[in-house]
Amino acid sequence: MSTIRRRVTLALAGVGVVAATVIAAGPAAARLVPAASSSTISVGVVAPFTGPAAEFGQLLSVPCYVGTALINRAGGVLGSTLKCVPVDDTGDPADAVPNVTKAIATTSNFQMAIGLETNTAATTIPLLSRAKIPFFTTNGLVSYNHTTDPYFWRATPADNANGAAFVAFAAHRGWRRIAVIFENTASNEANLPGVMAAIPKENARAVINLSIPGDSSSYSSVVERVLAAHPQVLIFSADPQTTATFLSEYQQLNHNSVPPMITATESLTPDFYDTVSKVIGTSYITHHLYLVGAYFSTRSVAYKVYAKEAYANPLTHKLASTILAVGPPASAYDGLNIMALAMLMAHSTKGSVYDRYITQVVSKKPGAVVVQSFAAGKRALAAGRKIQYEGVVGAITFNRYHNFAGSFAVNVFRPSKAGVLVYVIPGAEVSRLLG
Amino acid sequence: MSLFVDAVGFGIASGAVIALGAVGFTVQFGISNVLNITYGALMTLAAYLGLVLVGWHLSVWLALVVVAVVIGGISVAFNRALVSPLVQRGASPFGLIVVTVAAGIVLQYVVTAIAGPQAQTYGEQGNSSIGVLGMTFSVAQVTIIAITVVVMLALHLLLTRTQLGRAMRATASNRTLARSCGIATDRVSDLAWLLSGMLCGAAGVALAITVVSFDFTLGATFLIPMIAAAVLGGVGQPYGAMLGGLVVGLVTQITGALWDPSYQDVVALGVLIVMLLVRPRGLFGAAWSARRLLA
Repeated sequence: MSTIRRRVTLALAGVGVVAATVIAAGPAAARLVPAASSSTISVGVVAPFTGPAAEFGQLLSVPCYVGTALINRAGGVLGSTLKCVPVDDTGDPADAVPNVTKAIATTSNFQMAIGLETNTAATTIPLLSRAKIPFFTTNGLVSYNHTTDPYFWRATPADNANGAAFVAFAAHRGWRRIAVIFENTASNEANLPGVMAAIPKENARAVINLSIPGDSSSYSSVVERVLAAHPQVLIFSADPQTTATFLSEYQQLNHNSVPPMITATESLTPDFYDTVSKVIGTSYITHHLYLVGAYFSTRSVAYKVYAKEAYANPLTHKLASTILAVGPPASAYDGLNIMALAMLMAHSTKGSVYDRYITQVVSKKPGAVVVQSFAAGKRALAAGRKIQYEGVVGAITFNRYHNFAGSFAVNVFRPSKAGVLVYVIPGAEVSRLLG
Repeated sequence: MSLFVDAVGFGIASGAVIALGAVGFTVQFGISNVLNITYGALMTLAAYLGLVLVGWHLSVWLALVVVAVVIGGISVAFNRALVSPLVQRGASPFGLIVVTVAAGIVLQYVVTAIAGPQAQTYGEQGNSSIGVLGMTFSVAQVTIIAITVVVMLALHLLLTRTQLGRAMRATASNRTLARSCGIATDRVSDLAWLLSGMLCGAAGVALAITVVSFDFTLGATFLIPMIAAAVLGGVGQPYGAMLGGLVVGLVTQITGALWDPSYQDVVALGVLIVMLLVRPRGLFGAAWSARRLLA
């Protein structure tokens, strides 16, 4: 939406250029932290820290703070400690380029990165790859399902799989008349191909499929069309403002009744809860809004280590309850541990060297000891053992394209604004729908 | 047919808010001849001031009135502190535009720094439905339409039936001549900025009520449709801006209802271009001479 908000009329085109220049040189550029010392490895958190999606930057910083604290407490990596460096991609692919380029050029010992979310991945990923910096991305773009980029790693599902999981859950609930409504942005529409591919395979029907602009003054006409299609469920993806406006008008035009809604776990944030619940009520958002995303077990040792530090760390404890229910940050935390363990295995902190060891950190192999934290992995390696890292997202098996997708979780909001798991969709079921 | 009729109703509701802002924008331009892009950021500020007042348990409609007055004052101060001095020093029209863009960005960042980037809402405001001639409106929409109509009538009376209105029209027509005829053009200019600011403030709060949820980009997002409405009607033409707002609202909603909603803004701006190709001075500009209503 940020780009839409920067629309200018033809008459103001010249002014727009000036405005864009001012914006690009604004707080985004000033946000880079001072260079780290030579005994410090910088971990770039490439995410929006300003603009409408700024909350994502704060949320994606949590796994970095948690991971680096635990790694440093375990003695660091090859004599170096790790430090999180926020790299503001602003949520805008064009604005992201100068910020990420500057971070790569000026940040001392920048050797690993997490984040690189959907809106900006197309412009930020090539920059990291060119600099030979391995990264664990949280973007779900289908275009990376078959990437040959050696520095690309993804331990979170692609968006088409997420979309298929939406439909799998609708079918599980017996909702076969589905209204599909997505805001017309890359990140929101990314789930659409998976949704449309899965609907016929579940003997369901897309009674209406609409793409809507974000932050419009009214969606009444769209709502009327959706109402006329008599859906049992809404599969919907949009920013909090758009969702709130849409739901408010749906409620108004449908005698205070709104069907259940399925959306992505990216919306499992306090902002989304606050914005939407004030408009449509707490009851709807805690009982009829389902958030689907990557599944992970809260019973594993890896999760307990992750959660304990998230709650204990003064930098993260306020966001812990929010972040611990969502898959992509967990995959970023795992990514951090995997890259750090790969450095140990490679005896090098250089990206182009340790990148080749990442698969070995997680792969099953005879005689390997399963480790669920960096500290345990470091101890095992020091003892001369082979290791297999199992993270918060479970046992990880990267395919030849450096992708991994497990099962899917369906969460609902608690009144505390955190999520609670209500259903698990097996990864095999989702694969069947996409096959 | 029902969907079309409903879309017309939704278009009127959307158009009312756009018209409210567009008229304020065009009135100020008509008098001062300054394209004030800060207008969008002032709408954002208005929405957030409304949020503060609603947080103090003030009625949202009373908040609208209070915010309109406050933004009116800020608008006058903005003119006196920044725009007028630059005009007096011979700043070019393009330079003035750049200054108002920059001031708008600064204001937007200040609002964000104070209120944060997260979405805000006044909560549900008059969400129950009312049927009128087969169209469906919420109570809030009907209230905003009524406010817009009353404001437009008041503006019409001000411009056509009062000494002040005549002075404003004279100043808009020929500032030098008006001054030599004894009109206090600086004071008239202040009043135009006050009036424009009040409409801007009212539009900001009305927008926040209409969209239900908003963030710091509210004004920037809706400035384009408002400028489109003002240009469509003929820049400097209050009645043209009213009609332009209605056209923009109707086109977006009818496009959303009958075609692809993702193109509703594109179609509205496309209509603007086509209309300007046919009537380069806008809907009212060809029939009446430039700035006739304010002249």
